[in-house]
Amino acid sequence: MGIVELVVSIIIVLVAVALVIWLYFIRQGDAEFEFLVDQRTGLKLDSINSNVAVFSCKVPFVNKGMQDGTIMDCYTRHLLPREQYDGVELASWLAVETRPRNDGYFEALIVPKTTGETLDITLKFTAKDNDIKVALADMVDFSLDIVYQVVARREWYIAKQRMIVVADELIQALNAETTRA
Amino acid sequence: MNMELELIPVKTRILTPKDDIVDTIEKYAKDMIGPDDVVSVAESVVAITQGRITSPEELAPCFLAKVMCRFVPQKGSLSSVYGMQAAMAVEGKWRMAFAMLAGLLAKLIGRNGVFYELAGEQAALIDDVTGTMPPFDKSIVYGPHDPSGVAEAIKARLGCHGAAVADVNDLKRAAVLGVTKGLEPASLSKILIDNPFGNASQRTPIVIIKNYAKALAKANA
Repeated sequence: MGIVELVVSIIIVLVAVALVIWLYFIRQGDAEFEFLVDQRTGLKLDSINSNVAVFSCKVPFVNKGMQDGTIMDCYTRHLLPREQYDGVELASWLAVETRPRNDGYFEALIVPKTTGETLDITLKFTAKDNDIKVALADMVDFSLDIVYQVVARREWYIAKQRMIVVADELIQALNAETTRA
Repeated sequence: MNMELELIPVKTRILTPKDDIVDTIEKYAKDMIGPDDVVSVAESVVAITQGRITSPEELAPCFLAKVMCRFVPQKGSLSSVYGMQAAMAVEGKWRMAFAMLAGLLAKLIGRNGVFYELAGEQAALIDDVTGTMPPFDKSIVYGPHDPSGVAEAIKARLGCHGAAVADVNDLKRAAVLGVTKGLEPASLSKILIDNPFGNASQRTPIVIIKNYAKALAKANA
């Protein structure tokens, strides 16, 4: 075998090995998270006083990928600028349903492939003019992003899933609870 | 001998790289430790107090790390690209690559564990993210530096019979990484096998094995 044939043979072998490894990676896949905001529960009034109302809902999420994945961090980002509505101050946070905590910290979580969990999302509205029922009567729809950082087989990334908080739903939850009370 | 021993977990606040492990043991457990006792301390907490932590955001995975992590089973800390990169940073990427190649070849002839035998101690000791309690749940924690030296420092300060740095978990796995002269790591591993540090070893990072020396003398009599 000449030197040229030897070099060509080595190159062919290396390319074949690289191809096999690449196919192995494709077949192996990775974690893939989806936050199912279209399956979230309706908003529920958790507590209310004269100027503060606290609502919550549950949002399921799944790792529909082929590998376990870790959610290193996850938090809410509400988008309610004062130009849109200036009657309330809003605070929002989330926790994993099976790991309840009230400090706003998200403990990094391994989610095995094809499994999932549920987020408890809390919205706290504080009226700027002291009467929360009056303030919420004029409430507007707004967006709320669930922002999450994932690490798995590939490098970490941050993504977000948007959900819409509908004003009518807030008011219905408020009325349902106050009627019951 | 195990039946006669009393294991006392000692609760502390969460320790950080600002803490010194020997000072901490003295602060929280000095009055509980006698001359016949052995003091054991959780290896991940020793590593944290030594500042041996990093995070995925601080690491830039190389090509080899991206490839090699794919060949580690999912439950292992090196199965994530950052766990693998962290191990490469301390053990060397070519050593890790050689160990993996040797490990794969060894598996073909039915021999497991060759990768961890060749890849270096840190490859087996690294805890990936989620491996430790908040606020270090988002960090990668290396194994401790010079665990036997740490054990000797504890003994010298506290006047106990001996000391050990141990890696224990709830899966009935206990590895003693460092001990003071005269102690038997295998014997201590058996004593610690039920994980007296508990699930959250960062909250009870110290376990005092009471009257170890007396029990040993009795067993040898």
